[in-house]
Amino acid sequence: MVRLLTHNLLACHAKDCNTNNFPLQFKDVQLEIREADFNPEFLKGFMPKIDWKALVDTARQLGDTSLPLEQPEMVDDEFLKNLHHILLEIHVEEGSMTCPNCGHVYPISNGIPNMLLAEHEIG
Amino acid sequence: MPLRYLFHFAQVHHEFRLPELQSISELHGISYKLPNEAKDRDPRRPFMVVELESEEDARILARRCILIKAIYEFYAQGSTYEEVHEVNRQNEHLWKRYIEDTSFRFLITSSHHKIPQSRQREVIESFAYMDFRGKIDMKNPDILLMCFEEYDDKPGTTLERHEGDGKFRVVFFGRLIEEGTARQLIHKFDVKKRVYYGNTSMESEISLLMANQTLASPGKFVYDPFVGTGSMAYPTAHFGALVFGSDIDGRQMRGKQKVPGVIRAAQQYGISSHIIDLATFDITNNPWRCGELFDAIVTDPPYGVRAGAKRLGRKRELSERQRELCLQHSLSPRPDDQPYIPPTKPYELSHLAADLVLFARYLLKPGGRLVFFLPTVTDEYEEVDIYSMLCEGMEVIANSLQNFGSWGRRLVTIRKTTLKQYSPPTFEPAQPPSDEPAHIPAHKDFREKYFQGFKKSDDKTEQSSLYFVNP
Ligand SMILES: C[S@@+](CC[C@H](N)C(=O)[O-])C[C@H]1O[C@@H](n2cnc3c(N)ncnc32)[C@H](O)[C@@H]1O
Ligand SMILES: [Zn+2]
Repeated sequence: MVRLLTHNLLACHAKDCNTNNFPLQFKDVQLEIREADFNPEFLKGFMPKIDWKALVDTARQLGDTSLPLEQPEMVDDEFLKNLHHILLEIHVEEGSMTCPNCGHVYPISNGIPNMLLAEHEIG
Repeated sequence: MPLRYLFHFAQVHHEFRLPELQSISELHGISYKLPNEAKDRDPRRPFMVVELESEEDARILARRCILIKAIYEFYAQGSTYEEVHEVNRQNEHLWKRYIEDTSFRFLITSSHHKIPQSRQREVIESFAYMDFRGKIDMKNPDILLMCFEEYDDKPGTTLERHEGDGKFRVVFFGRLIEEGTARQLIHKFDVKKRVYYGNTSMESEISLLMANQTLASPGKFVYDPFVGTGSMAYPTAHFGALVFGSDIDGRQMRGKQKVPGVIRAAQQYGISSHIIDLATFDITNNPWRCGELFDAIVTDPPYGVRAGAKRLGRKRELSERQRELCLQHSLSPRPDDQPYIPPTKPYELSHLAADLVLFARYLLKPGGRLVFFLPTVTDEYEEVDIYSMLCEGMEVIANSLQNFGSWGRRLVTIRKTTLKQYSPPTFEPAQPPSDEPAHIPAHKDFREKYFQGFKKSDDKTEQSSLYFVNP
């Protein structure tokens, strides 16, 4: 926790921060790798929801270069295994996520990201 | 010839029984047919004769439905034993193959009554014409034959031992196919045996029923936006789904140790890899990048009784000067790593319920389900209360009351029936059309009504709120 699947779904939501507010940038991260059950059906169903560029860039920043730059049309088992590992087995336990647009810092502690906004940031 | 099965249901949460049967049948592509006559499918009665396509379907249902105690192959029923024997003889083709050398056990039992030993023997002997030649085996029989006398439940009356014996409403007879093994999960997920729980935790039987309403199964992605201590996350993950939880109050999910409480409880159940993530945020200011993510949303919204509904904001507007100070405070780096905790304001329940439905419509995949509790004042509830919070593309498919007396809560299951994509809800108060007064549902201002003891405004009698104890 925070897994890259989650990271791929969270955008900055501060008031008036609507463009360039994704992906949030990881900082000072502590990673853990934990095995998860491989479920190809879930992965195939989830693929259309992925922002591919954000996922590839983030995985590379964390040192994993196994994903192709373009999301493939045809998927084989090896690709799905890599995708599984990246989406579900890399956990960011500590650190923070910063909005590339407004600079809001979302801290992560014991694997739980604090996505609350401050008073002046809500609509 | 349709195959008939005798379902024995637990005598609890009777309004949840048929919705659960519908959900688990839908999940496994099982078709079933309930009895034609209303009295034969009355969910307060212990037995129901249901048509299925195969014995395997009966086994699947018994292994997953929390409210099924057992399923039998149906042999006969009748209001007298003469009737039972007549029907049973006609159905000889169903039990003929057990005559030669199948070991068996014969059990006779009843509801709300105790049958004296002597008559039990009498009844068993009256089935002698079946001429079963296998040996009687009380421990490990090949088949179990069950004869069940249903007596009317007369709550409030105390009967003498064996009083009214033989004055049953109906007798059922059949062969056991499968015990309802899912009921054991009620003990497995018992809150008191969980390493982490709080005063908002949901009892395990109801959490399991909620998980079944979501159609949880491997490959599904399920979300609880008011996850608290995670009660519904565990059974949902147990059935194979991946679960995401969020809450405005991180302490509810974390507890006091380093490893968050919800994760520790998930580890206890061997399902921690199914908890995708937990995150702290207010649903009215949420960070979801896009919609159509989840197969189901399952949640117990804050009613304001134990854990008040709140949202980011302030009850009163601040002066310019105060606002400036707050801004300074939230921007300045804090010495420890405690996150900034912003102020919150109350969130009225009928507003929250309508928002939740819009939020679910945005986040659910087409066909996805929203399963949640809505507290209500029993005497004031009207069907329209549920419909007043619906929106286009969201349809109620089940609505089951758990009655606590003067108040209760309804487990509502809503299906997203639309393929249309919606933008995220604004969470602004809805403006009722000005020309007609808007319908005021009974769950509006539930918290206030709860603490006033549900007095009608014109009711002058004093009632203490202590009168309404939590279940
Ligand atoms: C009835 S409790 C749910 C309890 C949970 N089912 C459990 O097992 O502990 C409601 C939860 O909603 C949270 N909550 C209240 N207002 C909220 C909001 N606006 N956004 C997100 N969570 C909120 C509370 O912190 C509380 O944990
Ligand atoms: Zn931002």
